[in-house]
Amino acid sequence: MELTDSMVDHLRRVAALPDLTGTRYELESEIGRGGMGVVYAARDRQLDRRVALKVFDLPVAGEARLIAQLEHPTIVPIYEAGTLADGRSFYAMKLVVGARLDRYLCGSPSLAERLRVIHRVAEALAFAHARGVIHRDLKPQNVMVGEFGQVYVMDWGVDAVAGTPAFRAPERRLDQRSDIYAVGVLVQFMVPEAPPALSAIARKAMRPDSAQRYPAVNDFLADIERFQEGLPVEAWREPLWHRLRRFGSRNAVLLWLFAAYAGVKFLLFFLRNV
Amino acid sequence: MDTDTGIGGAAGQFPSTDLSLLAAANGELSNQALERVVALYWKPVYRFIRLKFRKSNEDAKDLTQGFFTTALQRDFFRRFDPSKAPFRAYIRVSVDRFAANQRAAEKRQKRGGDVEFEPLEENQVTTESAEEAFEREWRRQLFTLALDDLRAHCNESGKTLHLRLFEAYDLSGGERPSYSDLAVCHHIAETSVTNHLAWARRMLRTFVAERLRDVTSGEGELRKEMRRVWS
Repeated sequence: MELTDSMVDHLRRVAALPDLTGTRYELESEIGRGGMGVVYAARDRQLDRRVALKVFDLPVAGEARLIAQLEHPTIVPIYEAGTLADGRSFYAMKLVVGARLDRYLCGSPSLAERLRVIHRVAEALAFAHARGVIHRDLKPQNVMVGEFGQVYVMDWGVDAVAGTPAFRAPERRLDQRSDIYAVGVLVQFMVPEAPPALSAIARKAMRPDSAQRYPAVNDFLADIERFQEGLPVEAWREPLWHRLRRFGSRNAVLLWLFAAYAGVKFLLFFLRNV
Repeated sequence: MDTDTGIGGAAGQFPSTDLSLLAAANGELSNQALERVVALYWKPVYRFIRLKFRKSNEDAKDLTQGFFTTALQRDFFRRFDPSKAPFRAYIRVSVDRFAANQRAAEKRQKRGGDVEFEPLEENQVTTESAEEAFEREWRRQLFTLALDDLRAHCNESGKTLHLRLFEAYDLSGGERPSYSDLAVCHHIAETSVTNHLAWARRMLRTFVAERLRDVTSGEGELRKEMRRVWS
């Protein structure tokens, strides 16, 4: 019997669905596709709550265990991991209600808000790096902003993931500095018309030679914090006029007080000599 | 009428093997494994030649046969570099070159130079490109072979009821029967119907993966091809 196109489509659809026989989950709908598998919304029948179920295309070991070690407010907690009846690996995790970063940016958040998200992403990376875990595929599609502003970094790396071309560092062997490269691209993506100091931070993070990037995410974070506080950043040697302007904006109140004091002094001097 | 070919090979003729294309790169691919490659790619190649080079059924069959004969005689598999493209793309590009060379040779042989193409029949007129047709035929052939594997497996393991339910529901060309209709018809509980169907779909997925494993160069390519099939 020759399979018609509609039969092939039906077979592709039904055979692609994860076989949840023997698990406590009921499939609801597909919510996204990552580098290694598909994420579904599902209902946990035992606890009567909705969860996100990541089902890998093929059996893989380790990703769930890897993420389970990362208990951090910006890393989605894992509830359970295992193997489905069809041999595919899966894990259940908290279902994040919110928007993917690329969609979140469509709402035109302020620079301060964008910097807060970048800061949270970098914190997650620093935390993971300290435990020997690298992300490997950081990109806007792997960052979620929750309904209360929580930031989550998802899809933590599996060895087989090669990264997304635009966010992937040029080196063949990915390491912590490859994540720093990706976070630099993320800064450019999130703040396309960034002030010179922030652009310089992104450029330093994205240097083709990994030895010239920030040595650790914490160094990148420190520069971001300096920028947020209006201090000079390590990545940029600012010109004198820019330094003066930054000094002026940081000490505006003091300068106004000084100007007022000088004005009064001048007025008194003037009145005394009239 | 100039209809499509029925050639393509039933899976029963091609016993399972664990050999991959990596073995082919070392020149160690067995005839059985080669047959599995041909079983999956014969029809997509034929379809591609037919659409792209507007060949008649017989000419397309000859060219397809010629392509595989040449591929098997020369070190076609040795030249495959998995870091550059998946095997599927390698085959398609190779067929394209092969058929173009053949056409150029035909042209040189003919006085006056012009090659007369077979007119496309009405039922062949399509907006689909030859590349799309190749992909579509590749998927169809992949599922056809996996279904043959599933049937053989069900017959060997005595799971004929599973197969009957699967064929009645998932291979129904028209309106699908309800689970309760199938339960009544086969004197089993409705939950058994869904469980049997889940088992058959699971096995089908496994056989698709096995078929792909034979024609990919390793885990990385296999993953990509799996994504291509299921997405």
